[in-house]
Amino acid sequence: MKLFEYQAKDVFRRYGLQVPQGKVAKSPDEAVAAAEKLGYPCALKAQVLMGGRGKAGLVKLARNGQQARDYARDIFASSVTKVGSVLVEEGVAFEKELYLSITADPVSAQGLVIACAEGGVDIEVLAAERPEALVKLEFDVTQGLMDYQIRNLMYDMGLEGEVAKQTSALLGNLHRIFRDYDAELVEINPVFITNDGVVVAGDGKLSIDDNAAFRQKEFPLIRDYFSSDMEFESAQKGIPYLQFDGDISLMCAGAGLTTTVYDLVNYEGGKVANYLEFGGPNYTRALEAMELCLRNPSKVILIVTFGTIARADVMAQGIVDAIQKLKPNRPIVTCIRGTNEEAAVEILRSAGLTPIFDTEEAVRAAVALASKGPTP
Amino acid sequence: MSIFIDQSTRVLIQGITGKEGSFWTRHMKDLGTNVVAGVTPGREGQVVEEVRVFHTVARAVREIPAEAAMLFVPPRFTKDAVFESLNSGIRKIVTIADGIPLRDALEIRAAALSCGAKVIGGNTSGVISPGKAMMGFFPFWIDRVYKPGRIGVMTRSGSLTNEVTAMIVEAGFGVTTLIGVGGDPVPGTRFAEMLPDYQADPETDAVVIIGELGGSMEEEVAEAIASGVFRKPLVAFLGGRTAPKGKRMGHAGAIVSGGTGAVEDKIKALEAVGARVAPRPRLVGPLLVQALAEANNRK
Repeated sequence: MKLFEYQAKDVFRRYGLQVPQGKVAKSPDEAVAAAEKLGYPCALKAQVLMGGRGKAGLVKLARNGQQARDYARDIFASSVTKVGSVLVEEGVAFEKELYLSITADPVSAQGLVIACAEGGVDIEVLAAERPEALVKLEFDVTQGLMDYQIRNLMYDMGLEGEVAKQTSALLGNLHRIFRDYDAELVEINPVFITNDGVVVAGDGKLSIDDNAAFRQKEFPLIRDYFSSDMEFESAQKGIPYLQFDGDISLMCAGAGLTTTVYDLVNYEGGKVANYLEFGGPNYTRALEAMELCLRNPSKVILIVTFGTIARADVMAQGIVDAIQKLKPNRPIVTCIRGTNEEAAVEILRSAGLTPIFDTEEAVRAAVALASKGPTP
Repeated sequence: MSIFIDQSTRVLIQGITGKEGSFWTRHMKDLGTNVVAGVTPGREGQVVEEVRVFHTVARAVREIPAEAAMLFVPPRFTKDAVFESLNSGIRKIVTIADGIPLRDALEIRAAALSCGAKVIGGNTSGVISPGKAMMGFFPFWIDRVYKPGRIGVMTRSGSLTNEVTAMIVEAGFGVTTLIGVGGDPVPGTRFAEMLPDYQADPETDAVVIIGELGGSMEEEVAEAIASGVFRKPLVAFLGGRTAPKGKRMGHAGAIVSGGTGAVEDKIKALEAVGARVAPRPRLVGPLLVQALAEANNRK
């Protein structure tokens, strides 16, 4: 789960990092009031989870009240993404920027610090174009990041004196956050070195491992993390769901198979309305899955499964029960294979469905139905 | 020969008395797996599916030697269970747990690397050598998927594996050993690390990998081919070609960085070293036929 910048910075503050003073505003008026209180220049930063906020016009530096008013209005009205809140922060006069992040390297199974003496840049572009500008350091996650490793990193970055001392402390604290929060990624881009030599976290990204949710309870799921109500509701139910704007609802089992069906629909010229996966532990939840699909204005529901533990007959019965209860107003294409497949076929046929056994054939059938079907 | 397991591999089951554990122990034995002991704390003295149960792995291996451990243990206890087996000298471990914390997965893989063990999983159906043995939960009785033969299969997926393997079988082939490395961001064992075993196995003619967007495991396979570690024909199917950027599609493992993770880059890397990439599951079989014919002509 990715946190918003303001949430990451709240954590940073508690761990002793220097963070610019700021306030979260929920409306243009609140943003202007916050700006007036903080003084100018001040930064207005949309609290959204997408990358590339600067390029999308979602981060602005206001030099006076008029600019604050204009920028606040523009950011909240952005056509790029829905903006629910804006972080208004005091402007920081800096003479240098750095990049710092901690993540995991899946190949070496070590923690990985990535640092760069040039901050504020697109780190992925830099990694592709000038990889030598990045300093990388692996550390044993059981042992933790050690002081000598941090010292090495400071010299490799060309930092000295007071700045090196403060940056070392910051990195040590960042590592504590990485560990304590079961982070997949903690990143500051840029780290400011101010004109008076103070090291400040200019931005903050903190992404918490979903599999550690049982021991990370500080940040519950909130609607603001999601781009649609449906995605929020399905996340609360624990059913993987993505919203698109096509006309074929996918109700499939298994992440890999659902992704492949998504590809096949695109190859056949169809468009997906939603990606929904009810495999694994969710295979008995056909009713909830179909309810979610039916709330889309799609023209057809395409069900493809090839289950192992998820028994085909149980899924077929769930689908038939869901149809009887929900009375869907659009055609349903089924392609259900796997354990107890013969029983599944009987169940589907007796409910008046015509099961298909080949995934590509099922995809073509769904695309054909969607192209001629009326919009429900 | 098989990769990782065959009928002679002495398998211990951790979590054998649970619902899943006992159910799949029976099926593992039905297929021919040599299950020698079980472990569930507090249940020593019980017998499950004719298998003796011990309190701990250490107590089990003191009486009954075992070389492989199959874990039916919930994700949050998986790290502990893996270390328990490692510390009793077991060097082949399969964990099916879906939801192992990243931090735990890092510690598991780091420990396995440091002692030369192979931990397969989590978030997988396990490992199966059709007709011989399995560690995991495969419906091996579906014979249009789990047919013995001469093709090695490695996968990050579950249901998609059935889909693709059915196409391999439809084309007239069967499987030597299928290894589900799993869908997690930090799997215990990576595709490329199993390739030397498939290369060395005289009963494996070619390998199919079933990958997806995200991570760098497919690129590592390309490197293993480029460096000559793996020299047999290889066909890949990769899900997520048309996945839009920035959406969390596929397994959790699909979203962690490392390379760009884009399917297009994986295809380029694999094709550059002569591997074939099937755009649809149905084309895996015909591409295998092509690749094997070409390899035979070269001989």
